[in-house]
Amino acid sequence: MKHFSEEDLIAYQLHDSSNETATRRHLEECVECATVSESIAETLRAFSAEPVPKLDLERNWQRLRGNLSVLGDDQPKRVGLRWKLIWPAIGLAMVALLVVIFIALHGSYTMKTRRNVAINGHGPLTTEPRDPAIADHLDSAERLLTEVNNTQGPLDDITREQAHHLLLKNAVYVHAARESGDMAQAAVLENLGRVLTTLDNEPETPHSTWRLRLEMNTSGLLLDIRILRQNDDGNQGAAQ
Amino acid sequence: MDRAETEAIREVLGGNRDAYRVLMDRHFSSVARVAFRITGNEEDAEEVAQEAFLRAYNKLPSFRQDSAFSTWIVRITMNTAINLVERRNRDLSYRAPRIADEPSAAEGTVRVADGQAGPEGELLGREAASLRETAMAALTPMERAAFTMRHMEEVPMSEIAEALNITVNSAKQAVFRAVSKLRRSLAPVAGGLR
Ligand SMILES: [Zn+2]
Repeated sequence: MKHFSEEDLIAYQLHDSSNETATRRHLEECVECATVSESIAETLRAFSAEPVPKLDLERNWQRLRGNLSVLGDDQPKRVGLRWKLIWPAIGLAMVALLVVIFIALHGSYTMKTRRNVAINGHGPLTTEPRDPAIADHLDSAERLLTEVNNTQGPLDDITREQAHHLLLKNAVYVHAARESGDMAQAAVLENLGRVLTTLDNEPETPHSTWRLRLEMNTSGLLLDIRILRQNDDGNQGAAQ
Repeated sequence: MDRAETEAIREVLGGNRDAYRVLMDRHFSSVARVAFRITGNEEDAEEVAQEAFLRAYNKLPSFRQDSAFSTWIVRITMNTAINLVERRNRDLSYRAPRIADEPSAAEGTVRVADGQAGPEGELLGREAASLRETAMAALTPMERAAFTMRHMEEVPMSEIAEALNITVNSAKQAVFRAVSKLRRSLAPVAGGLR
């Protein structure tokens, strides 16, 4: 008798099974699978939805209201509330990071960037609207890298699949950033591309994953991506 | 999307900030709910709700009105919540106990004292609550989001996948991994794992 895997049985208990009838029939006859299935059901019962605390709508509205900029005119929108608060602190760190990245990437190459307000610590990295798809790309990259950063041991297939997917798109965005003269963004994306390539190519061993994390952390890539992404959120109103 | 919402969005885009209250009135509870499921605590849930509504507000000019605002804001909430949990994990160098992939006595597995082994009813007790919390904390933010949305909020896999910007198969795998980990973490109390 062919038994069902734990995955099949979880899907069955969550009503996501593609062959529910066959599974049910098997469970009626097979004690082994029925036991696992019941243990899964028990787990799901133990983690059934607990009541959600009710948050105060009025207080939350007042708090939010204070952070809303007026939309619909030409003045630049304000950046997110948390971001606004930590901006001064991060400004200095950013300048240092950007300098390091530029030096690392381009050596003595003379940069011909246009005036970049971020360098002065007052505003976004770029002042021109950029492709909303970039915002999504950075969003996904941030999530992926955070996941990699927080995972101990080898990476799973999903993470690697995502890395591959992002890598394919990344080259396009590097090109676009260069074309638009946004060298700061191009540099971060190039750095991202390198990490993604490592993720995509290397045989999966605990050691390679560890090395990858080290590379990510020393380069400050995650922080750079967060900065770019936050700027997108705060200023471009990028599409989801 | 109904007319009141369409009208509110038009007003907001025209410069009337207070019109956003209409959208908040309608969607605050579902946003708070999703935020609570993924972050697991009230304080963070509120933080996420604030951030999600603010992000949605700032992105409103690019919101395509052919889709529902409710779907959109929940999607933003899920991602904001995942990001917050990730930030918390990183900032506090928080190391949750990892659930071992195999149910061996491997290091880091959530273990329950032998004396606690007992009937299923015990899972409902206070100690069980903290056990559940520990088990949930050992999930990755993505697993936690996928699991709570699927199991507790009964959101279809396809919607979860779309919201998290992953394939349906990846969403399923995340839920399966979550259930499998949770089951193993409960095994010592729940009377064994086969
Ligand atoms: Zn069987």
